[in-house]
Amino acid sequence: MVATVHPSEKLLSTAKVGYKSQVSHFKDTCMACKLLAMGILPGTEIELIRKAPFGGGCYVKADNILVALREAEAKCIVLRS
Amino acid sequence: MEAARTTGSKPIIALIGNPNSGKTSVFNQLTGLQQKVGNFPGVTVDKKSGDLDLGLETAAELVDFPGTYSLYPTSKDEKLVVQTLSHPHDENFPDAILYVADVTKLEKHLLLFTQLRDLNIPILLALNMRDLAEQDGLQYDLQALERKLGVPVVFISGRTGLGMDDLKLGLANLLLKKQAPAGNFYQPSNEEKQLIAALQPDFPAYLPYQLLLLAHHQNWLPYLGVEEKAKIAKASTNTGFQDLQMQVHETMQRYGKFTPMVAESKMQGRSGGLSFTERLDRVLTNRTFGPLIFFSIMLLVFQSLFAWAEYPMTLIEDTFGQMGQWCRYILGSSMFTDLLVDGFIAGLGGIVVFVPQIAILFFLISLLEEVGYMARAAFMFDRVMQVFGLNGRSVVALISGGACAIPAIMSTRTIGNWKERLITILVTPFISCSARIPVYTVLIGFVVPAQKWGWFSLQAWAFMGLYLLGIVAALLAAFVLKLVLKTNEVSYLMLEMPPYRWPVMRNVWLTVWEKVKTFLIEAGRIILIISLVLWVLASFGPGQAMQKAEEAALVQAKTEQLDEDATEDLVAASRMEASYAGLLGKAIEPAIKPLGFDWKIGIALITSFAAREVFVATMATIYSIGHQSDEYSVRERMAKQKNPITGQKVYNAATSLSLLLFYVFAMQCMSTLAVVRRETKSWKWPLVQFTFMTALAYLASWLAYNLLS
Repeated sequence: MVATVHPSEKLLSTAKVGYKSQVSHFKDTCMACKLLAMGILPGTEIELIRKAPFGGGCYVKADNILVALREAEAKCIVLRS
Repeated sequence: MEAARTTGSKPIIALIGNPNSGKTSVFNQLTGLQQKVGNFPGVTVDKKSGDLDLGLETAAELVDFPGTYSLYPTSKDEKLVVQTLSHPHDENFPDAILYVADVTKLEKHLLLFTQLRDLNIPILLALNMRDLAEQDGLQYDLQALERKLGVPVVFISGRTGLGMDDLKLGLANLLLKKQAPAGNFYQPSNEEKQLIAALQPDFPAYLPYQLLLLAHHQNWLPYLGVEEKAKIAKASTNTGFQDLQMQVHETMQRYGKFTPMVAESKMQGRSGGLSFTERLDRVLTNRTFGPLIFFSIMLLVFQSLFAWAEYPMTLIEDTFGQMGQWCRYILGSSMFTDLLVDGFIAGLGGIVVFVPQIAILFFLISLLEEVGYMARAAFMFDRVMQVFGLNGRSVVALISGGACAIPAIMSTRTIGNWKERLITILVTPFISCSARIPVYTVLIGFVVPAQKWGWFSLQAWAFMGLYLLGIVAALLAAFVLKLVLKTNEVSYLMLEMPPYRWPVMRNVWLTVWEKVKTFLIEAGRIILIISLVLWVLASFGPGQAMQKAEEAALVQAKTEQLDEDATEDLVAASRMEASYAGLLGKAIEPAIKPLGFDWKIGIALITSFAAREVFVATMATIYSIGHQSDEYSVRERMAKQKNPITGQKVYNAATSLSLLLFYVFAMQCMSTLAVVRRETKSWKWPLVQFTFMTALAYLASWLAYNLLS
């Protein structure tokens, strides 16, 4: 699947710490399958709580679970704006 | 009904659930000390199982499957679940499934359940973490859930043991009734229906959902033959089956169906109070304090491995020494006594001596795991470790390797990605362990003078340099292995961070017990055999060679008028020279000469394969000071050694540095190799590891020797 970047799309990886929104859709189907299995679905409330100490990683609250994501993984989550 | 059945015919109950569902606690509650570790066929995944007495004259074997989120696996461990459950002829194919879900996250934990439900196996849903739910005032209408999901539901707590009797009764009923849930949860799409229809004639034993799983996973499922794979691939193409698209479709349909069921059955309460965890994580995963706290904790782990383990280790060494002396006293001296004392008892002692370090490390690690901290460490160090092809959790193994590689390698079990785990196992022995310290202590004085540089002694700097060298070697080797090793497994972080919980000590102790037991039985076997071989090499020589050497030594001692101790030392040295180990040392001399080593060092290299610190004792024996084998005397003696031909000192800076570097890099520990074999389930990886570490050691020593001399 080709990851096209639309200027209006808000990606989790570029969100500021504290940003809270809902998952709109995913950019990569393979990655999406894994996120779906963990319970991160379109419509899931998602909040970026903090970034990893050595950069890249995201500490995220998704509904009632806390999840650590790599930058590449956060990049495929498109948020509702 | 027969009460006593043979183990083989006992029904199998598969314990399945998402990661962090508290599955292990439930397993420990049900099986306790009855659990055993075995192998799943054909994979490197450990199979934990235990006997269950369910009452009602029903017994079963409970098999703990790796935690997974769905039947679409991404790691070897997860694949195992699909591999077993999609194949009715698999030897571990269960008669019933015990599915554990975290009741506080039920909205997230039922995807896998609905998938398993479509496999026509009797299944019981255990809602775990009842203690937490009751604390938060979370309540579900269990009857409503049972009705909607079509399976029996029990409400339990693996931590406190609440509801375990209901669970056992439920499982017994499940096995007696043998009733699988009615109907399918998932309604296949039209393409999928066509595919099922196309495959059914060729695979009559499989259920519709199993056929879909075959189509999704045919490229890796090990039990499918080439022809079968070709048939599935053809049918998939013909019916326009899009594997990822179908997976998303299936997943969304399942969520769409069970989410309202969960919501409607919920009587009261909001699930998942995370405020305590979130507040704690503000500090523990803070960009500055997080790593600092982690390293402080690791310092404590390291300190306990290094210092606290010392006492029980000395006690074990002394006990086995006493036992040997006692046997000698009772049995008198004979070859049998030698075999028993120097071979067997010493070998056993050499195995048991690792137990304190293994027990301490796993006590601390499983405590940190239980509390929920380890996932945070994995998150914080993921990025840094990824550069070297390692996992965030590898940091713990690498740091523990500074005390001893054996427990460190055993701790890599929690790394899900096989390649990352393998690389961690392969590079951990580069980290300087405590057994290298005596060797460094003896040799460093020959390389670096006892002067001060700044506040610190030059030797202390050199010591630190050797440690750093080990760390650099480990990271560089990891980087190279990352590029060399091929894998089709994609690496993910996507790690759920469990809420912080008070640890359940039963789980901690069971982990310690299991690790110690596996080490003693599985690695211990190999270590004992190798130490017996090493004993034979050092105690026997060809024909009468050793006796002759002894006689010659006695004559020499008489002419030199040596006292009793000195005579014994001389005899020991002469016997060692005439033994197979001595011959082997001489045989490898041409190979190690370019490194500046003579045959005496060759012997030490061979014998220290038992454990690196044996180097010191061997040196003492070879240089006829067996009675004073402390590091100081050995160094004194070595300093005096001169090459008989050139008259120059043997332990000049070049040879000593070369030898030091050899000990930094070489894989000279049979116990580590035995543990690597145990963890990778083949001799391939320990051999690869032995080869590349020895090659690197040889190269480094050769360079150092030739540059300095």
